[in-house]
Amino acid sequence: MADDAERRAFLAGHPAAALVSAEMPLRANLSVLENIAIVPQYRENLDYDRAAHRAWKLLERAGATGCALKRDPDLSFEERFIAKLLRAMVTSPPIILIERPALLLPDTDYPAWLERTLDALAADFNQCWILDYRWNEPLYAPR
Amino acid sequence: MLTRRGEAALAWLGAWGRAFRFAAGALAAAFTPALYNSATRTVVQKQIYFTAWQILATFTAFAAVLSLVIIQISVSTARDFGLSDYALEVVIRVLVLELLPLLTALFVALRSGAAINTEVALMNINNEIRALEAAGVDPMRFEFMPRVIGGTISVLALTALASLMALVLGYVTVYGLQGSSLPDFGRVMGKVFTIPILLGLWVKCLAFGVAVTVIPIVAGLDAPQKLFFAPIAVLRGMVRLFFVLMLIEVAALALTYI
Repeated sequence: MADDAERRAFLAGHPAAALVSAEMPLRANLSVLENIAIVPQYRENLDYDRAAHRAWKLLERAGATGCALKRDPDLSFEERFIAKLLRAMVTSPPIILIERPALLLPDTDYPAWLERTLDALAADFNQCWILDYRWNEPLYAPR
Repeated sequence: MLTRRGEAALAWLGAWGRAFRFAAGALAAAFTPALYNSATRTVVQKQIYFTAWQILATFTAFAAVLSLVIIQISVSTARDFGLSDYALEVVIRVLVLELLPLLTALFVALRSGAAINTEVALMNINNEIRALEAAGVDPMRFEFMPRVIGGTISVLALTALASLMALVLGYVTVYGLQGSSLPDFGRVMGKVFTIPILLGLWVKCLAFGVAVTVIPIVAGLDAPQKLFFAPIAVLRGMVRLFFVLMLIEVAALALTYI
C-alpha cells in the first residue's frame, strides 16, 4: 500500500477477512483462552468446554499456553499478537489479514518471528496475508 | 443561542430515543431463547454473581437494620396516637411497597450500574465492541442483553429478599415471637397485597431492574471514542439513572394512591 487511504480502501474491500490489527483489541475482561473460545461459542454454537479445548489446541501449537489465563493488560506484545491471531484463526476463515505487524510487535524482529509463528500454525489456516506499507516490502520474504 | 439550545434539546431527545430503542432491543432479545448460548448464559450468571450474590451479606444487614428502625418508629408512633391496629399495615405499605424496592434499585445502581456504565464506556472507547463484531460475536447477545437480564433478576431477587425480611421483622416486632397471630397477620397481608397492588409492585421492580442496566449501557455506548469522555459518560449515565428511578417511583405512587 502506498498510504493510509489505500490501506483503508483495501480493508473496506475485504470485509470477510479475519483481521489481526492494532485497531481490533482483545476483550479486556476475558482471558486469552476465553477471547479465542468465544468466537466458536457464537459462530458455531459450541459449548464452552469444546470451544476452550479448540482454543487450547491452537495455543499449544503456537507454543503460547503460558498466556492462556492472562488478560490483555498482562500480556507481552508477542502474546497479545498470538491471542489476536488465534482469535482470527479459530473458525478457519478463508483469509486472515495481519495488518501493519510493526504496530503489534514493536519490540520484536517481527518478519522472522512472524514467519516462524505462521509456520508453526500452517495447518490451521487457509490463507494469511500481511498488509503493510510499500516501504516495508523488503522486510518480507515471499511465502 | 437558540440554535445551540435547539441542538442540545435534540441531543437530549436523541439520547432518550436511543435508550428506549436499546431497551426494546434488549428485551426482545431476552425473550428470544434462540439467541442464548453457553457464553450468554455465563455472562448472565456472572452478572447475577456480581450484582446480587457478592453484596448479599452487606445488603441483607443494611435492609434488616433499616427495616427494624422504620418498623420501630412506625409502631411506637402508631401506639402514641392510639392507632396500633394500623401499625403493621403502615409498615408494610411504607417498607415493602415503596422504600425497599427503591433503595434496592439505588443500591444496585450505585454499585453495579456505575460499574456497567464505566465498563461499556471503556469498551466503546477502546474499540472492543467493534473488535467483537469483526470476530463474529454480536455484542448485544454477549455483552448487553445478559447484563440486562442478570441485573434485572438481581434487583427482583434482592427486593424480594429485603421485603420478606421486613415482613418477618414486622411480624416479630408487632406480635412477638409466637405463631398464634398468623391469621391476623394474614388478614393485614391480604388487605395490603391485592392483585392490582402486587401487579403494580412487580411492574415497578421490573422497571427498576431494566433501568439500572439499560441506562448505564446506553450512556456508555453514547461516549465518543476519546478516553477523557469516560468519566463524563459515567456522570451522565448516573444522573439519568437517578432521575429515571425517581420518575418510576413517583409514577408508581401516583398510580397507586391518587
